[in-house]
Amino acid sequence: MSNDTALLEPVKEERTAPNRGLFVSSFAGRDDLPAWFREQQRRGWSEFSNLPNPTRKDQAWRFSNVDALDLRPFITGGASSDDERIEILERSIPLHAQTGRLVFADDHLLERDALPESLRQAGVIFQPLERALIEHEDLVRKHFMAQPATLGSAKFTALHSAHVRAGAFVYVPRGVEVEVPIEVFHWLSRDNSAVFPHLLLVADAMSKVTVIEHFRSLNEKTYGFACGVNDLIAGRGASVKYVCAQQWNEKVTALQINATAVERDASAMSLNLHLGGAYSRFESLSRLVGEGARSDLLAVAVAHGEQEFDARTLQDHACPHTTSDLLYKNALSDRVRTTFGGLIRVEPHAHFTDAYQTVRNLLLSDDAEANSMPGLEILADNVKCSHGATSGQVDEEEMFYLRSRGIPPIVAQQLVVTGFLDEVIARLSDKVIGDHLRDLIAKKFRRARS
Amino acid sequence: MATETEKSAVDFDRSIGDFHYDVAYNFDAGTGLNEGVVNYISDVKAEPEWVHEFRLKALKTFQSKPMPTHWASADLNAIDFDKIRYYLAQGQRPTRSWDEVPEDVKRTFERLGIPEQERRFLAGVEAQFDSEAVYSNIKKAVGEQGVIFVGSTEGLKEHPEIFRKWFGKVIPTGDNKFSALNSAVFSGGSFIYVPPGVKVKHPLQAYFRINAENFGQFERTLIIVDEGAELTYMEGCTAPKFNTATLHSAVVELVAMPGAKIQYITVQNWSANVFNLVTKRGLAHEQSEIKWIDCNIGSRLTMKYPGVILKGRKSRGEVLSIALANNGQHQDTGAKMVHAADETTSNIISKSISIGTGRATYRGLVHVPKHLKHCRNNTECDALLINSSSRTDTYPAITVRGTGNSVQHEASVSQVSAEQIFYMQQRGLSEGQAMSLSVNGFVNDLVRQFPMEYSVELKRLIELEMEGSVG
Amino acid sequence: MQQLEIRNLSVTIEQNEIIRDLDLTVGVGEVHAIMGPNGSGKSTLAKVIAGHPHYQVRSGEILMDGQNILELDPDERARKGLFLAFQYPSEVPGVTIANFLRAAVQARLPEGEELEATDYYAKLYAKMDLLEIDRSFTSRSVNEGFSGGEKKRCEILQMAMLEPRYAVLDETDSGLDIDALKVVANGVNSLRGPNLGVLLITHYQRLLNYIVPDFVHVMVHGRIVRSGGKELALELEEKGYDGTRERAAELALA
Repeated sequence: MSNDTALLEPVKEERTAPNRGLFVSSFAGRDDLPAWFREQQRRGWSEFSNLPNPTRKDQAWRFSNVDALDLRPFITGGASSDDERIEILERSIPLHAQTGRLVFADDHLLERDALPESLRQAGVIFQPLERALIEHEDLVRKHFMAQPATLGSAKFTALHSAHVRAGAFVYVPRGVEVEVPIEVFHWLSRDNSAVFPHLLLVADAMSKVTVIEHFRSLNEKTYGFACGVNDLIAGRGASVKYVCAQQWNEKVTALQINATAVERDASAMSLNLHLGGAYSRFESLSRLVGEGARSDLLAVAVAHGEQEFDARTLQDHACPHTTSDLLYKNALSDRVRTTFGGLIRVEPHAHFTDAYQTVRNLLLSDDAEANSMPGLEILADNVKCSHGATSGQVDEEEMFYLRSRGIPPIVAQQLVVTGFLDEVIARLSDKVIGDHLRDLIAKKFRRARS
Repeated sequence: MATETEKSAVDFDRSIGDFHYDVAYNFDAGTGLNEGVVNYISDVKAEPEWVHEFRLKALKTFQSKPMPTHWASADLNAIDFDKIRYYLAQGQRPTRSWDEVPEDVKRTFERLGIPEQERRFLAGVEAQFDSEAVYSNIKKAVGEQGVIFVGSTEGLKEHPEIFRKWFGKVIPTGDNKFSALNSAVFSGGSFIYVPPGVKVKHPLQAYFRINAENFGQFERTLIIVDEGAELTYMEGCTAPKFNTATLHSAVVELVAMPGAKIQYITVQNWSANVFNLVTKRGLAHEQSEIKWIDCNIGSRLTMKYPGVILKGRKSRGEVLSIALANNGQHQDTGAKMVHAADETTSNIISKSISIGTGRATYRGLVHVPKHLKHCRNNTECDALLINSSSRTDTYPAITVRGTGNSVQHEASVSQVSAEQIFYMQQRGLSEGQAMSLSVNGFVNDLVRQFPMEYSVELKRLIELEMEGSVG
Repeated sequence: MQQLEIRNLSVTIEQNEIIRDLDLTVGVGEVHAIMGPNGSGKSTLAKVIAGHPHYQVRSGEILMDGQNILELDPDERARKGLFLAFQYPSEVPGVTIANFLRAAVQARLPEGEELEATDYYAKLYAKMDLLEIDRSFTSRSVNEGFSGGEKKRCEILQMAMLEPRYAVLDETDSGLDIDALKVVANGVNSLRGPNLGVLLITHYQRLLNYIVPDFVHVMVHGRIVRSGGKELALELEEKGYDGTRERAAELALA
């Protein structure tokens, strides 16, 4: 416990050098880590300190509950007890038996299942970030937080880079196909704990890989702060799938910042399931940087109580003949708020672009609020772009039909909502992962009913 | 095409509007904006003290508000408020007869064809020349029904009991920087009151003409249509091409009392040096209907988002808009629909065309707060790009609460393809004709909903704008 | 010189030679069919005649009644009397067939002359009756949401209205079932006559059962390798294009 450090040290009076020297790196004294990395941490802290807090007047934070971002209570560096560790490991069950797995709790590595020998022989790397920084320094350095944070959270990206230590580095060499998904678990166990999960996934040309991140809380009552970054790079002709099952408890403040770069003829598909968090913000930047690139952006949020989900996306077409397709669906109960702010941007010369964006909100209560800001910025020609945003409620006829078969209203509603959300999950075309996500959604409904 | 044989209802042709005459102004508030200018305007208009105070307060609000460049175009910074003339007039009282309009001003409106249109199909006309209306008349039969159609100054003096009740209530001074500016220096515009049950058959029309260089026109329009009454109002505007920036910043407030219907039609065809920054909003009471038909063709930068506050149950709001952004122009337009009662419905259909380096932006706001039942909104925005340097953006913001309401928003961007043009050329149409026909096809289903006089002319104007856009 | 004459035509697209030294003459009043396997350059020939901007003419001439049309824009060629029935006609959203054709007919009138609406509609309805097309058809947007058969019928109606001297029909039979094929063929036959030269481009012989050509040409690898009467089409139907491919190889070596 003596390792506890307040996430935000109180600001001292000296105005000449605000916050400098206050930052205690999680890796302080770790001279074995590369100097550039430690310098990047210091820079991150200074940027975080200097950037202003977001306000709702910022376009990127319009409709957001920025008050949720009071970070003063949170601490870093704490570790879970032995009993807690045992429980966490027991509960970190992978979807596939023979796969690589990393388990972190409060940003400490608890366990590591290495990849099968055949994949290691083929050159696939799956390591904790800390180790990869030493063993694969050049490869990590080339891609580490190299993509811009443009969707509002520059300040929190800086905070992440100041504090990051837990996370995974995945590298798949040219032409290698990893058939089973690689899985990473991040847990919050201690009260007021702050974590900074990191994922860097680099898929080289013509390779194929699926990575799943699980975000979970050990119990339902502890407060926490999660500020994660995942960077996905799909090299030429590569196929990358990324799934995030976000199940923090409903006290947690969570920020997840994604950047995906898709190169020539490559495809990236990401599906983010948002279930937990008091305030959960998700920023996703998908950059299509080579001809023939395709990106699918999928998300499902199931919100109840007072939860707030805040999603900001950018489909950035920087090359001709590229395709992106976004489908986000939200089911809103009780007094929840959801916000979607998304932009399709077709840069000059990115001709022959196909870009689609669809957001559907299903309102299940009178006090639920859905905000949608779908946007288009088209600077090229020969494009096919469209967006659609709808907000509506369960069809009364459909409900009546189900009830006429003797199904109680709450079950009928759950069936209808499940069907509504399933379109997104089905797009993943992966039965094992899809069923897992369906199961998590069903569990959330059961919790809501009890 | 047959459309060309029909006589125009409103002059859209930019080449017709691009002329100006030297006019001797008897009243000139000078250049730049300060309390003295506001005092001068209030003084020459011999306004009651409450209006004077209203103006001074608005000036402070204007000065305290920043330019909204954090979300809007940085081109706004090109407006130099110190170089603009805020009030230019020959006199303050419009005449009721064209014969009494001073010759140097009258010839402008004759050239624009206004007196002729009045005879043909209008119930009343107001013609504003720079800061003041020079002519304002309503047909006798309409006036006898109790319809009031006068300038804003006359309205606030002669009909204070109605005017004061609604003035600044639909659009408060501080709504935005330009509504504050208008509130400080407004002059001209219409005040209209239609008594209960009166359905005005023919449209009332206002024509806004800017003649002077380095000038700002700030008309203020307030229209109240009482219970069960109906009105169609049309406005047209032109200005000559000057090398310096001209500012047009109007505020238009509409009030539809229960069961009333208002249709407000704008055809903006300012020349390419005009900053057109206009705030327009209507307040719809129970079972009333407000419809904005908004066509933005000219100007350098237009920022205009007509809105309806749906305050009464079963009220209905509609915005139908067409924007055409030609080379160097930015049409930043859209709509606001604020649902504030049960069973309210709103409909927004927006079509934009970007030509050359033109840029068309759609911004929309749809707000359905909680505990409302059976509210509906439908929004469709379609953009057409003509050249590879054309640009279009769409930024809607939609907030919905509750289980009884539904909104849907759809937007698309498309382009006239090379294959399509080749196909039409193979039938013998020139490239320009082919392009023009495609563009007309794009706006057709929307234009069909406009009154006849407008749809015919609008198509003709689009054809004119399309000339020289190909290649 | 009442003929459409193609002399020594060579055409490339992105450096690939599609048509090589092609010669062909279609006289007014004649119906010629060009047959050939996929990729032989048939459709390219149709588009080059009409002036599609994607293709580069390397050498040769296309003479319409003695005048070289290669320097003319597509719409100028069309107004001179050339009509192309497209294999894949474009959609023109929001523009009705009636308005579209009216603009096309108007474009053929001398400067300053206005098309009389009543005359126009009288003629349009007469042509529609001739082609057995329902009146409601012309209020639909050009090709928007049309079935394959409707698109081809729309092409034939346009041809009937614009009264070309030379019509090139590019794969008019593609995407048509047998019933639709008959309807279209009947349409073409009814327009056939001493004032119209037709160039039919087709992959299958079956169209030629309904539109009987005066001359048949076989095109392979961008060249006409054989020419003959209508019996040539039947021979091809029986023996396929294999024989002609050999002939093409011989020509290439020669």
